[in-house]
Amino acid sequence: MATAMMAASTTSCSPRRAAPVLKPVASSSSSSSSSSARPRRPLAQQLPRLLATAAAAVAAAPLPVLAEQMEKAQLFDFNLTLPAIATEFLLLMVALDKLYFTPLGKFMDERDAKIRGELGDVKDASEEVKQLEDQAAAIMKAARAEIAAALNKMKKETTAELEGKLEEGRSRVEAELVEALANLEAQKEEAVKALDAQIASLSDEIVKKVLPSA
Amino acid sequence: MNITPCSIKTLKGLYDISGVEVGQHFYWQIGGFQIHAQVLITSWFVITILLGSVIIAVRNPQTIPTDGQNFFEYVLEFIRDLSKTQIGEEYGPWVPFIGTMFLFIFVSNWSGALLPWKIIELPHGELAAPTNDINTTVALALLTSAAYFYAGLSKKGLSYFEKYIKPTPILLPINILEDFTKPLSLSFRLFGNILADELVVVVLVSLVPLVVPIPVMFLGLFTSGIQALIFATLAAAYIGESMEGHH
Repeated sequence: MATAMMAASTTSCSPRRAAPVLKPVASSSSSSSSSSARPRRPLAQQLPRLLATAAAAVAAAPLPVLAEQMEKAQLFDFNLTLPAIATEFLLLMVALDKLYFTPLGKFMDERDAKIRGELGDVKDASEEVKQLEDQAAAIMKAARAEIAAALNKMKKETTAELEGKLEEGRSRVEAELVEALANLEAQKEEAVKALDAQIASLSDEIVKKVLPSA
Repeated sequence: MNITPCSIKTLKGLYDISGVEVGQHFYWQIGGFQIHAQVLITSWFVITILLGSVIIAVRNPQTIPTDGQNFFEYVLEFIRDLSKTQIGEEYGPWVPFIGTMFLFIFVSNWSGALLPWKIIELPHGELAAPTNDINTTVALALLTSAAYFYAGLSKKGLSYFEKYIKPTPILLPINILEDFTKPLSLSFRLFGNILADELVVVVLVSLVPLVVPIPVMFLGLFTSGIQALIFATLAAAYIGESMEGHH
């Protein structure tokens, strides 16, 4: 089947190459026809010779060309191409390794490691942030407690002071009140005493006036 | 009036472009040895594409990758993942081999499917994917064999050969046969798939030059990718298999 295809392809796809193949046939046939045109020999004698010439021409000119092409039409034609391609492949492998696989692979691995490391750092940092937050919360709590304590203390102190002042004021007022009351009492007694004296003198005078001096 | 010849000419041009020459090679003679020049030329092209794009994209790696670098990082991760799945934890040293195998085959296959090589005319034969040639696939398969032998021997020393009589010595012939079938199946799978894919496209194009071959071309792209993946995966699996220890 492959042979048939080869033959078909050689004729169908390369008419320019097929043309020289055909030419000798044409020339040989024309020469044989010219020889057949010679009238001296009888046809019976001529025919084998003619055929022989034609066959010889065909065998000599066109077929070897075709045959050569057919002979070379080899699918399984092992030759120097094989080691050449193998060498090329090995060289390509070395070149690609130097230019592509190793450097880019290394680069990718390094980048991978870097990203991984950075991700790890970020994770650590988040822990740190949490710690800091805790710390801040603790500080806030302490501060709040301190402030509350101070506030309480201040309140207490103020209340005490106030109480003290109030007490003092009250005691002073009471003292003053007592003093004032005492004063008042004293004045009252004095007034009563004075009144008593006046009453006595007045009653004496009244008695003197009313009663005759007799 | 003019249309018919014109279209016929166009069609003929399409046919010329779509023609296929199976097993035709453009030979160079190097020191008495023959070499398939079309394979070498396209493989140089593939290597240039690979190295060029890699150099442009990865020359100066950025922490936040650019588009090209991102793509190549994705490819590298894909290859690492593949190697790791097949080989196991000690996959590191094998990444270049598996990766180069995958990238070379993949770019080769796609270059054969996508690039109009036919435009460049050779004296004989035609340019096509390097993996279209049995020499390439066999070379890659033999390198894979060498790689897994090296992996096994460097890991376990001579006790590597004990695997031939495991689980029983009766399996010795089959185990030995495996070392031949592995490269054979690897090379022929790739070669057959790529060649068949290109042939199918070519035959369809030669029958109906427009529109109809497009789905098959897409199928071809898909197959090319899958074949590259299969080759790399199997190579990694063979290496992993010869490295794994029975404890």
